[in-house]
Amino acid sequence: MKKTFMILMIISVIPLFNSCTKSSEFLDKKPLGEYSETDVWSDPALVETFVNMMYRNALGWPFSIERLSDYSDESFFTPDWDVLNFNKSLMTSDGLLGWQVDWATPHTLHFRWDPLYANARRTNIFFSKINDVPGDEAVIDNLKGQAYFMRAWTYFYLTALYGGVPIITKAYTLNDEFEVARNTYEECISFIVGQIDSAALFLPDAYPTDGHVTRGAALAFKARVLLYAASDLHNSGKNGDVTSGFSNPELLGYVGGDANARWTAAKNAAKAVIDLNKYSLYKATPAPADSVAQNFVELFTSKGTNEDILLQFFTPKTDENWDGYNPGLYCGPNGYHNWGNNTPLGDLVDEYEMKDGSKFDWANLTHKANPYLNREARFYATVLYEGVQWRKRPSDALQIDPFSKIQVGYVYNPGNVMIKAGLDTRSGPIEDWNGGKTGYYLRKYVDPAVDPQYVKQDVPFKHLRYGEVLLNYAEACIELGQDAEARTYINLIRKRAGQPDLPGSLTGDALRQAYRHERRIELAFEDHRFWDVRRWLVGEIAYKQTSAVDVRYNATETSVPSYRKADGSTYGAPVFAKKDTPGDSRAWNKKIYFFPIMRDEMNKNTLLVQNPGY
Amino acid sequence: MKKTFHNLWFLKPENYFHKLSITLKIVTLLLVCGLTLPAFSLTPGIPAADDQQQIKVSGTITDASTSEAMIGVNVQIKGTTIGAISDASGKYSLMVTDPNATLVFSFIGYVNQEIPLGGKTTIDVALASEVTGLEEVVVVGYSTQKRATVTGSVVVAKGDDLKKSPAMNISNNLIGRMPGLTAVSRSGEPGYDNATLRIRGSNTLGDNSPLVVVDGVANRDMNRLNPNDIESITILKDASAAIYGSQAANGVILVTTKRGMLGKPKISLNLSAGGTQPTVIPEMADAAQYSEMLNEIAYYKTPSLGRNQKYSEADLQQYRDGSDPWGHPNTDWFDECFKPWSSQNQMTASISGGTDNMKYFLSLGTRYQDAVYKNSATNFRQYDFRTNIDGKLSKNIDIAFDVAGREELRNYPTRSVGDSFRMLMRGKPNMPAYWPNGDPGPDIEYGDNPVVTVTDATGYDQDKRYVLNSNLRLNINIPWVQGLLLTFNGSFDKNIAFRKLWQTPWYLYTWDGNPEYITTKGKRGFDAPQLTEYMADGQRVAVNALVTYERTFAARHTVKVLAGTERRNGFSDNFNAFRKNYISTAVDQLFAGASDQYMANNGSASQNAYMSYFGRVNYDLSRKYLIEFVWRYDGSYMFPEDKRFGFFPGISAGWRISEENFWKNSLGLFNNFKIRGSWGQTGNDRIDEYQYLTTYGFVDSRTYVYGGADAKLLYETKIPNPNVTWEIANQANIGFDASMFNNKISMSFDYFNNVRSQILIQRNASIPNSTGLTLPPENIGKVKNTGFEGIITYNNQAGDLNYSISANGSYSRNEVLFWDETPGIPEYQRATGKPMPTQNWDGTFNSQLYYQAIGIFDDQGEIDGTPHWAGAIPGDVIFEDVNKDDVIDGLDRVRGEKNNLPRFIYGFTFNLGYKGFDLAILFQGATGSVQYISPESGEIGNFYKEAADNRWTPENTGSAYARTWNRDEEYWRSQGNTYWLYNMDYLRLKNFELGYTLPSSVNKSLNIEALRFYINGMNLLTFSKQKLIDPELESGTAYPLQRVVTGGITLTF
Repeated sequence: MKKTFMILMIISVIPLFNSCTKSSEFLDKKPLGEYSETDVWSDPALVETFVNMMYRNALGWPFSIERLSDYSDESFFTPDWDVLNFNKSLMTSDGLLGWQVDWATPHTLHFRWDPLYANARRTNIFFSKINDVPGDEAVIDNLKGQAYFMRAWTYFYLTALYGGVPIITKAYTLNDEFEVARNTYEECISFIVGQIDSAALFLPDAYPTDGHVTRGAALAFKARVLLYAASDLHNSGKNGDVTSGFSNPELLGYVGGDANARWTAAKNAAKAVIDLNKYSLYKATPAPADSVAQNFVELFTSKGTNEDILLQFFTPKTDENWDGYNPGLYCGPNGYHNWGNNTPLGDLVDEYEMKDGSKFDWANLTHKANPYLNREARFYATVLYEGVQWRKRPSDALQIDPFSKIQVGYVYNPGNVMIKAGLDTRSGPIEDWNGGKTGYYLRKYVDPAVDPQYVKQDVPFKHLRYGEVLLNYAEACIELGQDAEARTYINLIRKRAGQPDLPGSLTGDALRQAYRHERRIELAFEDHRFWDVRRWLVGEIAYKQTSAVDVRYNATETSVPSYRKADGSTYGAPVFAKKDTPGDSRAWNKKIYFFPIMRDEMNKNTLLVQNPGY
Repeated sequence: MKKTFHNLWFLKPENYFHKLSITLKIVTLLLVCGLTLPAFSLTPGIPAADDQQQIKVSGTITDASTSEAMIGVNVQIKGTTIGAISDASGKYSLMVTDPNATLVFSFIGYVNQEIPLGGKTTIDVALASEVTGLEEVVVVGYSTQKRATVTGSVVVAKGDDLKKSPAMNISNNLIGRMPGLTAVSRSGEPGYDNATLRIRGSNTLGDNSPLVVVDGVANRDMNRLNPNDIESITILKDASAAIYGSQAANGVILVTTKRGMLGKPKISLNLSAGGTQPTVIPEMADAAQYSEMLNEIAYYKTPSLGRNQKYSEADLQQYRDGSDPWGHPNTDWFDECFKPWSSQNQMTASISGGTDNMKYFLSLGTRYQDAVYKNSATNFRQYDFRTNIDGKLSKNIDIAFDVAGREELRNYPTRSVGDSFRMLMRGKPNMPAYWPNGDPGPDIEYGDNPVVTVTDATGYDQDKRYVLNSNLRLNINIPWVQGLLLTFNGSFDKNIAFRKLWQTPWYLYTWDGNPEYITTKGKRGFDAPQLTEYMADGQRVAVNALVTYERTFAARHTVKVLAGTERRNGFSDNFNAFRKNYISTAVDQLFAGASDQYMANNGSASQNAYMSYFGRVNYDLSRKYLIEFVWRYDGSYMFPEDKRFGFFPGISAGWRISEENFWKNSLGLFNNFKIRGSWGQTGNDRIDEYQYLTTYGFVDSRTYVYGGADAKLLYETKIPNPNVTWEIANQANIGFDASMFNNKISMSFDYFNNVRSQILIQRNASIPNSTGLTLPPENIGKVKNTGFEGIITYNNQAGDLNYSISANGSYSRNEVLFWDETPGIPEYQRATGKPMPTQNWDGTFNSQLYYQAIGIFDDQGEIDGTPHWAGAIPGDVIFEDVNKDDVIDGLDRVRGEKNNLPRFIYGFTFNLGYKGFDLAILFQGATGSVQYISPESGEIGNFYKEAADNRWTPENTGSAYARTWNRDEEYWRSQGNTYWLYNMDYLRLKNFELGYTLPSSVNKSLNIEALRFYINGMNLLTFSKQKLIDPELESGTAYPLQRVVTGGITLTF
């Protein structure tokens, strides 16, 4: 009996293990969280999500904690993160300093060699596969159009940063030959323009939902590319100081050729967008009852207007890390429990004209007595300054400041002892170390309707808008000597801003300077200035000791209970003074016109030529 | 009968009894020896009796330490084959003809005793367990071996020794006890205090974690086992682990739990309770110092504005004298946040016992650990049970059925420990934690005032995990083939986790300096409550079948063969859901959240499968010449179909020279001397799965938005590597085990040389980034790791005092043999030939390139005369111009020679017993590791006191410490350099336990078996060069290790 039992036991055990011998079946598992290559490239819906990723990486994180404005003479990045060292032009081929903060996700993180080429690879994979994807031809063409655009966008930023770069259109596999030389700047621009032309061919005029690239976006982008290419930085007739002694000037710009033809191409490209008659300036002619400043606020907090050509949307639902997307929190004053970053520099603020079109001037005592009186409308839509009404303070701050007016000043007693610091200063009672250092906070793009402590806003970033196209057109006209045409278009911008027309007498270099001023003001904090100061070869002007504003109240009391009196009035009139932003002494080195290729990359690809100065 | 028993001892469930007994008895062994040996010497001689007369001799055999009856002890008349075996009540009887014969009592794991009859007919014997452990049974892969015949490099820790620590986590009890184990505790946070365990240091650029096998089942979590349930922990350090094949390269830790033993039910209670406190609390600058330093920051930026740009002398004075607690507080944030002592306690009750047909070990336990914070929201609680049952189904069939389960409850505040400790470090001493009126002070940012965010004022984060482990084992003895045994094991493990994160707004108070001292309340963190729930459900199934054959031929040739097959598979599912904008905090359930656009859910799954064929062959000649061969043929789901299987062999041999006559004659002081050597190839399968597939995945949590709608983002998850395979470890080991002077001194020493090849690393360094490739790891890395380890133990007794002293040390040094170097980099930046760099958080290794800090600039003249970073000012750190090109740039960075894992780790144990008292002490230390300790200081947060006290200032020139810095603005902050690199050598009193056991006379009157009182402690003293943080931690923002002191009782009845 026992024996039988035992035999049964053994027999029952053995089959269990016999079944294991079909190892192939037992070990055959599939990843449950991923799609196979075949899945993806046989389904246009999945391909579309792959194209979405190109947008994400090409267009980046423009509202990240660190903004491109911090790297030029627009704003100051309070937390530093090595940005000052970048702005001192200390960048080398071993380190891009504050440009490559890798523990956060700053916008600049993808304006670099590696991520841009990673994005180029995405487009290369796409083009190596798309012709075999089954599906509606219109859908496929549309996807191709978007991918051409993203490839152009990617190479555009590569050339803007490095000059000519290797044009790579193949999707490498592990066993390929990887060493490749740089193409010339001219070849790169031709390539980019070709890609844009292809994009324009495939892209539709509009989509059911905004945010996709359209034919209009392709044309507007082409205008920007050609404008940049025509600029002094890439013109061997103008960039001699940068390229002198460099063995390969063709990598940095056009060598010879017809500069006028390039400006004409830029002009025509901008004109092509204008001639679409699809876009127009938002509230181009302000109604008499309009607040022009309010028009501007609306333009930058709306979800899209007839002026917008390419928008990057965000939703409050979009689950980003702390460093991903929350401009209200990042830029807002510390007295709102915000982080006080990207604070406008005095240099920029002082550029805003008076309402009558005259220059603001600290030497003008009327101006100095109240710098914020009678400034042009765009100033009020862009900058938060001492005493301006802003959104309701959070509960704890509201009891300290029931008026919810920006406080960036200090109250002094007759003994010249500081007795009360504004809520939004670096000595205030709330998160003082997050206070800005310039006396200003950023208003542009910030939606005052949401409390960014708790909720993210859903304001889109404007990558391409009609206002820029008009300015691009005007710039090309100026460089072609077509001053009247240029003034006409600049005046469209000024008219919308409520500023008087440029006088007909303004021509030549004076007009160029007026244009550059206009562009700086109109496109402030829209990621243009960083590139403009480079392509105009004006780095020395933009990178220097920056300025801020000092605001003080001279109280007659020895101590005061609050920054403002109970009735909201101040302790005496504020005294304004221009001062240096503490520690923000920037410097320019001409090598910084182009970025270095990192030493490791140079070592890995011996065919590369390093940019001058590194 | 005896032979059969012997041949199969290692698979008989009863024999777990033997192992257990060893463990239980070893502590009191010396005492027993002291009592019994002199007694025999006093036995008077008796004249010889008539040869023909048969005398019946009988007696009872007990265990010397537990006084329990011992079954199965072999009793033999010396020089004859006449013998007997003790029965279930420990009784034996046999007939002798010679009244002066000598009886030999022997039992595996116990010291043989020879007792001359001397005419007596009743001989009661108390057997003591073997001191040298030569007969000790060592758990090895899928089997057990006797210590004497082990040829691999194996180290064992007894459960009873590991228990002598108040640590809440088993992994922390191993540190310093086991030669060859490099272990470091990186956090003391309740529930997250697993030590990092490395066997023989680091061997690979990939995952270095060893395989953990609990009761024969791989990849179970050992950390949370109840220490009272553990019989022993064995570590297989060399190629003897090859029976675990592709999982064995990082070493194998085998945990064996206790089993029931023959005898009446024994009930044991162990209760302890005590307090914990941080070992090291960072010392930070005070308010006056900090304010002065903020002044210096402003001064260095704009010297023209003087030294009081932020705080006037009057302010500084008020910070110093504390005269204005509202306006000029002086806050010690750690002091405000931490309580002096936090509590922990544990209770375990177990019942064990058994009859011939059924043996059982049952235990129930609970443990609780509070955190260091005042009003702490953090704590860890565990409930566990274990039922290990052995039964006899028939004469030839044994069954074992084990079920163990536990509930792990972790409670945390909604801000992570990293956030809270970051904020503690950043806590500004001139800001109040609480206002003088008791309201909590303002935050540093984001609502982070640590005295509030460590409490439940912000909601809660509750993590519940349920673990169920079960095994069923059948041993089937094949009666018609002598020595043949079949074993069938099946295990089923289940892991369920449920986490609930309930985040509510909290309130902090601001004071704006108003003279009425009115504070204002602000809502922080969230505008409305929000809830996230996470659910995960996983299981593992493993089944194996083993055939064992063991037989001794011609009394000299012993052969043992084991062959088996195993398959394992597992899956896990997870799911989470989120809602926000709760109207009320009253109900913390999902349904009560707003049904709005923010509702979200997510989920995923994974699966795996492995199958293996493995075996072991042992041969020994006269227990003198030993040889072992192990192998495993492993298949894994991770690889493409034609590359799934790999073969991993291991061979080892031993020579017990002490058994040779020439040795016995000339080197008699050695009782035992064995030389062993081994070589093998094992694999490491802790690598990413499916690397051979081109796959695309959705980006987690991030989207691109068109209009107002989130759109999915698909990306190329990986570029395939069609040739992916396991890492291969070539492991060579040579060593010896010896004991001397009648086992008073025992020692063991090993030298090893491991070469890990086919390590999966990316060829990043030589493939240009212009390819855009995110390279797949390829099997190209190669690392050598050599070292040695040893242990020496001395034990002796002097009167009632018995004691043992033991020292162990382990040294390992690794060196990169192949690394994908970027062409053209200077020799001093190459990783090849250097110790492995520590992998960075982002998976890169290049953090190990440092500028060499060689001093502090004292004045402008010195700066001008030295190559320096642009913009350097006096007080800045001098970087060495390594390549002497008069420029400080990336070429001046040098690859570090050390990483954050100690190279040498050592321990000293002292065990003393005197009458009822017992004392166990473990000192433990480590050398050879460095940490980059770089605090967030300046306007963003406070400075270490050491940096503040010694800082360079225009007045304090010549300092070795740099000037006041602000965040990462200075080049010597933003550029990795050796100024921040600290030597983490330490020595600490790791464990201490003092116990007193009531004398047995008292026990009888109390009707109990034993009662022991004890106090014990952990991390009681620490000696370290570096004083900033606990030397085992990796950063100042980790939860500190704990100094623990508890008292307890163990009651057995």
